[in-house]
Amino acid sequence: MHIPDGVLPTAVCLGGYATAGAAAWFSLRKISRQENPREGMPKASLLTAAFLVASWIHIPIPPASVHLMLNGLLGVVLGYYAFPAILIGLFFQAIMFQHGGLTTLGVNATVIGVPALLAFYLFRLRNILGRENRVLTGLFGFLAGGGGIALAAVAAFFILVTTIPAHLDVEAEQASIYALTLAHIPVMILEGVFTAVVAVFLQRVKPELLEG
Amino acid sequence: MKATVTVKYFEEGEVKDGELMMNGMRSFIFLAAIIFLFSLPAAAFGHGVNIEYQTTKAVEFTASYDTGEPVSNGQVTIYSPDDPSTPWKTGQCDEKGRFTFTPDPSMQGTWDIQVRKAGHGGMIHVNVDGEEAVAGSTGYTTTQIVLMVACVVWGLIGTALFFKRRKN
Repeated sequence: MHIPDGVLPTAVCLGGYATAGAAAWFSLRKISRQENPREGMPKASLLTAAFLVASWIHIPIPPASVHLMLNGLLGVVLGYYAFPAILIGLFFQAIMFQHGGLTTLGVNATVIGVPALLAFYLFRLRNILGRENRVLTGLFGFLAGGGGIALAAVAAFFILVTTIPAHLDVEAEQASIYALTLAHIPVMILEGVFTAVVAVFLQRVKPELLEG
Repeated sequence: MKATVTVKYFEEGEVKDGELMMNGMRSFIFLAAIIFLFSLPAAAFGHGVNIEYQTTKAVEFTASYDTGEPVSNGQVTIYSPDDPSTPWKTGQCDEKGRFTFTPDPSMQGTWDIQVRKAGHGGMIHVNVDGEEAVAGSTGYTTTQIVLMVACVVWGLIGTALFFKRRKN
């Protein structure tokens, strides 16, 4: 899901920077309107570290190995801080692990960060049904965690499938993109369960840490 | 995920200009005489084969994911130093992520090689002008990565502690 340098056309890379810039501006504006914008910084900083390290833990599912993304979890715990956190995490991943690249940083931030914001909105829906309900917290945690990955995988799928260069064996490349997208289904379930467990745990121990 | 591409050169004997020289009538008579005289099973001795060869420098590379797994059947695109925007050659790695090609010796400079599979891949720049064989690879070693991660994580923990500090 981290698209590297040299795979996408320049126009798509620029478009990615535009959408990522808009999302970052939106998130930062929402953060600055909060009562105490500094309050969320410690957990945002720590979860950026978790996000950074998580992409290094590989789960071998052919044809490629996939890794934990944690974008849904970041959305649930960080709320509007999730997008800047993901942007910073992706920057370090690009320069240290060569996961993704600097030209595709905007595209990757959009593909991974916007679903994190949507996961946050989804998780917030539990307030309508009852904030204290542990089963509901777990359920919405699962949906947010799994949904974050699912949306990111679908977005990456569309970007990759529509930009295959003509000089490649298009069918072979398409087939491997399909396979890679399907390989994210187990990760989706895994992250859904992980996010649900974290959400239920925080709800019981320190509910103010959960955004929304 | 990334693709690690390692490159090495090796001297490769290449058969070039395989040329068949037929010696025509004289050979035919010679052959017929042998068959006639000795009644041996016929064999086509009559065509002289001339093989010219020259050694050339080839680039072999292996692409693997950072888990060590090979990029099996990854698609290879090679760009020549003269035209870095149009593919000079395309191809496919084998099951073990290997690919070999012979750069055109008339084009000196940096060859760009891209390996791609399912939107993942990497690019390596190989300088083909020296006489000596060289080897190289992309990416960092595990120790380097662990050290960098440790520094960045420590920085992020520091940031967290800074914003967490008690106000006087």
